[in-house]
Amino acid sequence: MSQTICEVRGVEKSFGSNRVLRGIDLAMRAGEVTVLMGANGAGKSTLVKVLCGVHSADKGELALAGNPYTPVDAADAISQGVVTVHQSIDDGVIPDLDVATNLMLDKLTAPGAGLFVNDRKLRAEARKVAEAMGLTMNVRQLVSELDVADRQMIAIARALARSPKLLILDEPTSSLSATEAERLFALIDRLRSAGVAILYISHRMSDIRRIADRIVSMRDGSISGLFDTQPLDYEGAVTSMLGHAMTDVDITPATNSAPILCLKAIKLREDSPPIDLVANDGEVIAVTGLLGSGKSQLAEVIFGLSRPIAGKMELDGGSYQPANAKSAVSAGVFMSPKDRASNAVIPDFDIANNMTLPFLGSFSRYYKLSDQKQRRASEEMIGSIGIVCQSNRDGIGTLSGGNQQKVMIARWLLKPGRVLLLDEPFQGVDIGARRDIGRHIRATAKGRATIVFVAEIDEALEIADRIIVLNEAAIAGEHINQNIDLAKLVAEVSGPSRSPALAG
Amino acid sequence: MFLRRQMLKLTGAAALTLGMGGVALAGDMPAPFDKAGEVKIALVRYLSTGDFFQSYLSGVETQAEALGVDLRVFDSRQDAALQADMVDQAIALGVDGIIIQHGLTESMKDAAQRAVEAGIKVVAFDVNVENTAIPQVEQSDYMLGKLALEQAVVDNGDNFTAGYVYVPGIAPLDRRDVAWEDIKAANPGIKQAAMFGTLDNPIANSVANQARSVLQANPNINVIFAPYDEFAKGVKIAVDEAGLTSDIKIYSADVSTADISAMREPGSAWAATVATNPAVVGEVSVRTLALMLAGETPDAQVIVPPTLITQDFLNAEDIKNMGDLGSKMPQFAHADVSMADWMPLPKR
Amino acid sequence: MNNERILNLAIRYGFLVLLAGIVMYFSLAAEGFASPRSAVFVLQSVAITGILALGVTSTLVVDGFDLSIGSVATSSLMLSAYSMVILEYSALVTVLLCLTMGALVGLVNGLLIVKMRVPDLLATLGMMFLLIGLQRIPTQGNSIATGMRLPDGSIAEGTFAAEFLWIGRHRFDMFIEKLFPMPVVVFLLVAVAVWLFLGFTRHGRLMYAIGSNQRAAELVGTNVSRYKVLAYMISGVLASVGGILLAARLGRGDIASGNNLLLDSVAAALIGFAVLGAARPNAFGTAIGALFVGILLQGLTMMNAPYYTQDFVKGAVLVAALVFTFYLSSRRSSAGRH
Repeated sequence: MSQTICEVRGVEKSFGSNRVLRGIDLAMRAGEVTVLMGANGAGKSTLVKVLCGVHSADKGELALAGNPYTPVDAADAISQGVVTVHQSIDDGVIPDLDVATNLMLDKLTAPGAGLFVNDRKLRAEARKVAEAMGLTMNVRQLVSELDVADRQMIAIARALARSPKLLILDEPTSSLSATEAERLFALIDRLRSAGVAILYISHRMSDIRRIADRIVSMRDGSISGLFDTQPLDYEGAVTSMLGHAMTDVDITPATNSAPILCLKAIKLREDSPPIDLVANDGEVIAVTGLLGSGKSQLAEVIFGLSRPIAGKMELDGGSYQPANAKSAVSAGVFMSPKDRASNAVIPDFDIANNMTLPFLGSFSRYYKLSDQKQRRASEEMIGSIGIVCQSNRDGIGTLSGGNQQKVMIARWLLKPGRVLLLDEPFQGVDIGARRDIGRHIRATAKGRATIVFVAEIDEALEIADRIIVLNEAAIAGEHINQNIDLAKLVAEVSGPSRSPALAG
Repeated sequence: MFLRRQMLKLTGAAALTLGMGGVALAGDMPAPFDKAGEVKIALVRYLSTGDFFQSYLSGVETQAEALGVDLRVFDSRQDAALQADMVDQAIALGVDGIIIQHGLTESMKDAAQRAVEAGIKVVAFDVNVENTAIPQVEQSDYMLGKLALEQAVVDNGDNFTAGYVYVPGIAPLDRRDVAWEDIKAANPGIKQAAMFGTLDNPIANSVANQARSVLQANPNINVIFAPYDEFAKGVKIAVDEAGLTSDIKIYSADVSTADISAMREPGSAWAATVATNPAVVGEVSVRTLALMLAGETPDAQVIVPPTLITQDFLNAEDIKNMGDLGSKMPQFAHADVSMADWMPLPKR
Repeated sequence: MNNERILNLAIRYGFLVLLAGIVMYFSLAAEGFASPRSAVFVLQSVAITGILALGVTSTLVVDGFDLSIGSVATSSLMLSAYSMVILEYSALVTVLLCLTMGALVGLVNGLLIVKMRVPDLLATLGMMFLLIGLQRIPTQGNSIATGMRLPDGSIAEGTFAAEFLWIGRHRFDMFIEKLFPMPVVVFLLVAVAVWLFLGFTRHGRLMYAIGSNQRAAELVGTNVSRYKVLAYMISGVLASVGGILLAARLGRGDIASGNNLLLDSVAAALIGFAVLGAARPNAFGTAIGALFVGILLQGLTMMNAPYYTQDFVKGAVLVAALVFTFYLSSRRSSAGRH
């Protein structure tokens, strides 16, 4: 079980003057799951792209099963047995085709494929592939009708249908629920015993604990740590990834302040129990729960994007029933949505215009926008929240994920609001930026109620005064963030039916 | 059966009486026009927008009405393939005669032949379908150009500098171009300073933009030959805008109500136009087809002669529109072409 | 680094330098090109397409597209002729009628797109056909001119009001007597207004935000639907302004499809992407784009170039502008990233 499938020796890669990979040595062995950890910008994605044929290395060599491996492009890498499932789901599936065609896409594009498609045969084969994966959906269904998690499973299933030697999974669970993630892990277990080498890229400690045979940490384009003695030293892996130990954020929970937002018997679904929640002045509440627990739904209800089945809301004692985002914003309820690329970033705008977008009216004199006012306000924000950039005229696309997210959140700090909702504010944000954001949110919390919606418990612990656990659209637990009983919290997140150990 | 036939006769007669003021009766006409209501003819058009084509259609309609025949109009709107399909549709419809109005030789040749093979009488207007069984109705584009240019020589002598509006590749314009080449060859004193032209929609507006540049680049131009009324309208706009109204004379071809008012504006540069009344051409097309249906054989080419219309004439007779023009200028209202004793004429 | 600066300069000023070069060339090659009269001719020949192009620009800004502008313009042309010649309304009523028609068409376009979820190209394509047909129904396909015979047999007695013709034909004295035509004044006013609106008001900025990321704009509290409808209404109104000027210049209601107007104005708006390296729709660029085409055509006509070279040249300019916009800008952004 220790045969080396793929070996990386002294690989270097630069873009212009930027040395992204500085001599990587790495071996992936048959029947082993190698987890690759690294903060954003450490070079993980570049390494993956070198392996799957998108980039070619400047220096160093790759070997596959003992032979030199120099893929000319992605298709070549696949035909040689290196198969990659990318993070971005929509790169992996074609929404307008049915499940069967999606699963069998490679058969259709393979050289020598027949001119006509035999649908019956196609579906029969697809059904086999789906069953092997434990997928239960109808193969005639269109992929666009499936939810995100199912689409991800199809992308992975298709990768597996190619019987890879080396399977690269780039943050595959980022859009999966715990149940679906567990299905994926079971599959990885099976592949591992079949002798496939697996390179698994993830931040999620729960994933890593569940499946890692060895952990490789990357930092600044080099391997900064290799951990393969059981039991694995998770703390050490994180430390070597970050370059410093994970320090606990000191939080003294705020107490006894005036209520700002009250949720009274809000029902998110027909069959769910009502939710009551009071958010107080100066308080930061974290709402946590698995995918599908109702977090995002709750955020949407408060921001006026959807209507609750029943119940009402009060803002500063008055009735609050926002019809849409516009009326929520004018009532002083702001939200930084999740998936910033599709929901928040204006790619054509520079930093200043992205930041001032919601409040352009207050940067106008009569009818004319004041460029100067916009720049001055955003310059101040850049300084206080710590955005790394050349100037406020930089295009938003030139910033790293963390800095983009800072701009998106700074947007809502320009004007005093009553309620600030942050939906997954740490998505695709490196640890440094995450700390900056957390610190700034807490520092400015006075005068408003802040509600943060996060799936990861450690993110909740880092930022909140109070943590509320959602499960199946119901409140499963509530904790003041001081000496929390973590086991209990985790159990509430996972729900009564699952053992707490699974979710780490 | 008897009753139905009587009814048809009656309605046919009624239609004719209305159309003709009772000059001819159905009974006077040879077969198949003794039962004119059962005769179906089709007009298959390639070009239809513009005054000329509207007027042509009205001529076809009034003559068909005078004959009492059932007219179907197919309009392909410059789609050559569709026009050929429409001929086939007309064949399928069982028409007795077809008038092909404009089109491309390549696309219409086979379709016309199919119609002839189906025993249908066919007349072509302004398109050569290369078929000896099909007479061509034509307005003489060469004569249009020639008469206008002869008037230009009368007005300006045989020594002038001209601007010429021309877009090659358009059959009638190409034929008018021959007249221009001939007059230049015959009068060495006529110099062509610039040639321009465009068919971009709206044509008059686009030509006006070009003409202005040309007038500026060639201030010595004193005559412009614009042998298509849309061209002439554009040139007139440019001449007016450049303030050269009194220095330049425009000679053109074709006429419409709007053209008449443009020519009659005080001090208008538009000196003369030469035109065949499109309505008359339409009438001649139908009459030629009627002759064939009645068993006669018209000439292979049926030419409708053009008429010179000068600004002076329009002013002298106070002509305001096409109706006035027809009544004051009989040779414009009617062409003695494709006539027969029995042939009913539209009421004037 | 040096290369990058040259690239940046090329993207920013390349098109303007090209424009200056062309003006120089024609000034030397074509006698009489470099004169105020000639400059005004260029402006006049682009005024109408320019106004339409500014309308297209406002729909491009919200990531839409209006294929119906050409037919809105010709409908407005026909409507103004119908209003004055047949209904014998005054110039003012006629202008208001046309503007209302344009706004209404824009509103319907916008509602089709926003409420009925019809894709923009399809909705406006449908509207285009609808209008091409509709404008011919009242006159049964005939052009409208004073003295024409109406379907009921009477003669149309109305005439184009002098005030109305003034809009299309009046010339203001400037340097030379009767130099500056009214349509150019309208064009410049519209261009400045659209430029200020899109570039310097929060409404314009929000419209750009919608064009770049509609969802994000919505989530900061922008009324996306209202702005999209507004963009189509601007487009419709501007197209009807173009039609009014056209009618006033021609002095009659000529039936025409308006397809050339559509294509020319879309070309101007797309060429505008390249001006100053904006790489996005903008009013200044659109105006320059329209001028660019106008200058080329004027110069070529003055040099006796045949008509078919003009379409060729338009196409070549458009392709060059698109290369400026997309290829060079993508080079710049990839160079900037590392």
